[in-house]
Amino acid sequence: MIEVAITPLPAAPLHVLELWGNPKAAAARVKKALGFALPETGRSASNGSTTLIRFEPTVWLVEGDLAGIEAALGDDGALTAIGGGIVRVQLQGTGWRTLLMEGGVFDAENPAFGPGCSAATVIDHVPVRLHVTADDSCTAYVPASYSHDMIDFWQIAATVQTV
Amino acid sequence: MIGFTFDGKAYQAHPGDTLAAALLRNGVGLVGRSFKYHRPRGIMAAGVEEPNALVTVGEGGRCEPNTRATDVMVYEGLVARSQNRWPSLQFDFAAVTGLFAKALPAGFYYKTFFGPAKLWLVYEWFIRRAAGLGDAPQLADPDHYSQRAAFCDVLVIGGGRSGLQAACEAAESGQRVILVEQEAVLGGSLLRDSHDLGPDWIEATAARIRRSGGTILTRTSGSGYWEHDLVTLSQKLAEPGQVQTGGAVQRLWHVRAGKVILATGCIERPIAFAHNDRPGVMLSQAVRTYLRRFGVLPGHRVVIAANNDDAYLTAKALKEAGTEVVAILDARPAPAGADLANGVPHYNNAQPLSVKGTRHCLRSVTADVDGASQSWNADLLAVSGGFTPVVHLHMQAGGTLAFDEKAQAFTPAISRQNIETTGSAANPPAAPACPPKGDPKKSFIDFQNDVTLADVDLAWAEGYRSVEHLKRYTTLGMATDQGKTSNMAALARLAEQQGVTIPDAGLTTFRPPYTPVTMGLLAGRTHRDGGAHLRRLALWDAHHAAEPIWQPAGYWKRPRAFPRPGEDLEAASRREAQTVRSAVGMTDVSTLAKFDVSGPDAARFLEIICATSVRKLAVGRGRYTFMLREDGLVFDDGTVWRLGEQRYLLTSSTGGADKMATLLSYVRQVLHPELRVSVVTVQEHYAGIAVAGPKAKAALAALTGAEPPRHMSHSQASVAGVSVHLLGASYSGERAFEIYVEASHAEAVWNACQAEVLAHGGCSYGLDAMDVLRIEKGHVLVGGEVDGRCSPHDLGLAGMLNRAGGFIGAAGLTRPALSAPGRLQLVGLESLSGPIPEGGMLIPFKNAAAEGHVTGSGYRVVDGTPIALALLRGGAKRHGEVVIATSPTRGQHARVRIVAPHFYDPAGERYRD
Repeated sequence: MIEVAITPLPAAPLHVLELWGNPKAAAARVKKALGFALPETGRSASNGSTTLIRFEPTVWLVEGDLAGIEAALGDDGALTAIGGGIVRVQLQGTGWRTLLMEGGVFDAENPAFGPGCSAATVIDHVPVRLHVTADDSCTAYVPASYSHDMIDFWQIAATVQTV
Repeated sequence: MIGFTFDGKAYQAHPGDTLAAALLRNGVGLVGRSFKYHRPRGIMAAGVEEPNALVTVGEGGRCEPNTRATDVMVYEGLVARSQNRWPSLQFDFAAVTGLFAKALPAGFYYKTFFGPAKLWLVYEWFIRRAAGLGDAPQLADPDHYSQRAAFCDVLVIGGGRSGLQAACEAAESGQRVILVEQEAVLGGSLLRDSHDLGPDWIEATAARIRRSGGTILTRTSGSGYWEHDLVTLSQKLAEPGQVQTGGAVQRLWHVRAGKVILATGCIERPIAFAHNDRPGVMLSQAVRTYLRRFGVLPGHRVVIAANNDDAYLTAKALKEAGTEVVAILDARPAPAGADLANGVPHYNNAQPLSVKGTRHCLRSVTADVDGASQSWNADLLAVSGGFTPVVHLHMQAGGTLAFDEKAQAFTPAISRQNIETTGSAANPPAAPACPPKGDPKKSFIDFQNDVTLADVDLAWAEGYRSVEHLKRYTTLGMATDQGKTSNMAALARLAEQQGVTIPDAGLTTFRPPYTPVTMGLLAGRTHRDGGAHLRRLALWDAHHAAEPIWQPAGYWKRPRAFPRPGEDLEAASRREAQTVRSAVGMTDVSTLAKFDVSGPDAARFLEIICATSVRKLAVGRGRYTFMLREDGLVFDDGTVWRLGEQRYLLTSSTGGADKMATLLSYVRQVLHPELRVSVVTVQEHYAGIAVAGPKAKAALAALTGAEPPRHMSHSQASVAGVSVHLLGASYSGERAFEIYVEASHAEAVWNACQAEVLAHGGCSYGLDAMDVLRIEKGHVLVGGEVDGRCSPHDLGLAGMLNRAGGFIGAAGLTRPALSAPGRLQLVGLESLSGPIPEGGMLIPFKNAAAEGHVTGSGYRVVDGTPIALALLRGGAKRHGEVVIATSPTRGQHARVRIVAPHFYDPAGERYRD
């Protein structure tokens, strides 16, 4: 039995932010609009109402308020809504790292993968993005079509895990 | 004590006993029957190398055949059965085959089973009856299996002395360590041999490893070594056949290690002599293991035959246990072993010739001692023919081997990955070569497949020179033990025949898994549903309530039809298609691939992807498009919509969604990183609902309260309070629309739309009706007509090509092959004699070569007349010709007339206002 609660979160606006040109100037404008710098690859940053999670070199996942971002981008980037296709699943409890090793290929047990870290990986053949929100909590962003089976997979794994 | 049964008889075991130890404890000597000759077999080894004692363990869906009795820990209620015998293990009718052993040598079937083909039906019955040992379970496996990843700095495989030391050292230096041991307890050879490390050394060392953060996995074996130091481990969380309440029974680990230390030890080799497979002939170290680890005496009057010093430890252990050791036969010349015999009668230049016994035990041993034959009464013969290092993982990792002359064994040489071998696997004990004596026809080397020395000799005589050919001809090393105890003996014999050294005779390949693994372990948690997750539509619940007939479509499940009471699939599909033609229907098209393409260079990007022009599209307009591979052949199609000045929506086929995403990413990031464009997959962000039929426009107008967009136009609207995209697009040939809504609001929009469709005399329709409608209209389907072999010209799409070029495949289109005569081209088929078999081939006359095939078979919706789409050589110029559509395997045939591939409204008047 793994000590973890697996809870789907309510649907929420999620956007992809992609920068294609003039990145330094665009980053400076976004920083001015949000009050924090664009996070590095594999990291996140937040001002309380907007969280940016960087999963690719030029791509961030934007969770929450979009105010000011679109204007800051100008012709150097774009925002695209993807929230309808993603189910956020909260993994709460000390066992979230062990749970993510089930069917996984990513080292979630590495102590360096701590709060504020993010990763895009595959779990049991399903593409999943991870965002560590606290020592004992991680949010998984799961494609909506897979979410039912993925949650089922995690719940079984949490139950049958005996090591 | 623990209760268990073997062949229905109840026995008692001690805690910690393997099934083999428990059977020996209860005096059971006969455990199985051999594969080919059904010879009586007992227990030869104490580890996973056991070739003889294979049993079926467990019941129902949990039963596991061909399980080594040495690799099952006894648990309360264990049920074990012997295999490959009828009617009983004691009296096996098939043992009569042993009388014909001379007629059944290696490869006899190659020389026997030929002749008229119809005789194969007879041969096959016998061959299938004879093949295999245990029976595969017939019931579903009720257990859970787990697969997980792990990462570590050091992975140590083997929990004996060397492995424990290596793991402890690494863990205490701060590294992440995983230590793996295939047995239930740590210790390896320390469990059978006295040592100077102190009584608690094993437990204390394990505790130190755990205290330093290391992980120790027992009942776990390294099953395979893959690229980049990826090692798979097979872990038993429950014993075979054991009921595991609420937990997984086995786990497959994928371990990515910084370094791998192999402390895998050696496997003791048997000795070849006549009847060396009888119960009562046991490996020397196995005797010590049963004696010291399990407290079981496998015999009371023992002869030991060996070519090394290690076997003298067995004599010592037996003497200490009060057992009579009547002779030690040492194949080495004097004075070898003289100082180790410890008072036991000891003979040099002595090798066993044969043994005699019953089905259950041994009676006597006959040996050649300095050229003279000598016999002893004995109920156990402990043999040791040297030691073979366990190098399987080293070799799977791409390593090389060196031949150790002293040990007559291969040891690890060059490592291709970050791997190191330690302990006896790197330094096996010395054991000189001793060519076997005794009748080669009765001297077994591969016990599982009943291969004798004479079989190797026969293969050589018949011209099989390569060790790989020898292996396949004799089946040596091809049983479930993969030749762990037999390969070196065979190599030695082959080398002797060739007159070369063993290394020159060659080596066979070491393939994973090291020991057999269950299918459940490989399938993991999805072993019940084909190994894949199901992708659920956003409208899953809504559809489920309507109780449709479901259709698997890749990982998706989509409604195939929505039958009403009393309707079968065909009736439901026909009613749904007719409703679309006469009124209005709605269907779920959410699975279509969808991409949001935005930025100043979005149109330029799309004109690289799409073979049609894009930049001329006005805002709010869309068009049909298709995509080519670099060779100019069509690989997908869809629509492209200009939603804003710099924002487009591209749709493509469901089945090609992943390939299209890969192509877009490749073009964006590799071919044209300079483009100012963002490409985002929104396949799941939007649910899609298609509304089609002559009343579709009215239904949409009532639904949205606004004028619906005209054909190939886009508008925004509100449905059930939800903002949606409305696209005027038709796949059915009727006036039609696609509604794209953020998936989390899809059900509300579906329900509102359904109410309006029903009010206009319509219904929901599924994939079957959709297919019938598109065939009648002549729309191509990716995977059907678009099969990767057709150019735009072949499919009648050439008129839509972007004349400016610049798209992927434009250069490929100029290839002469694409304009050569006789290409497969899209045509329609009208039946002159009944249903047209889908997938059937098209032939001009009976027995002629195929000139094409039926890609999609349907019927005219209005009157049910069979029609079809097909790909036919030179089809565009063959309209009016009559050919035969035939499927010999299904016995279906129809005469068909070749026509244009548009059966319904070829001018497209119905879908335009």
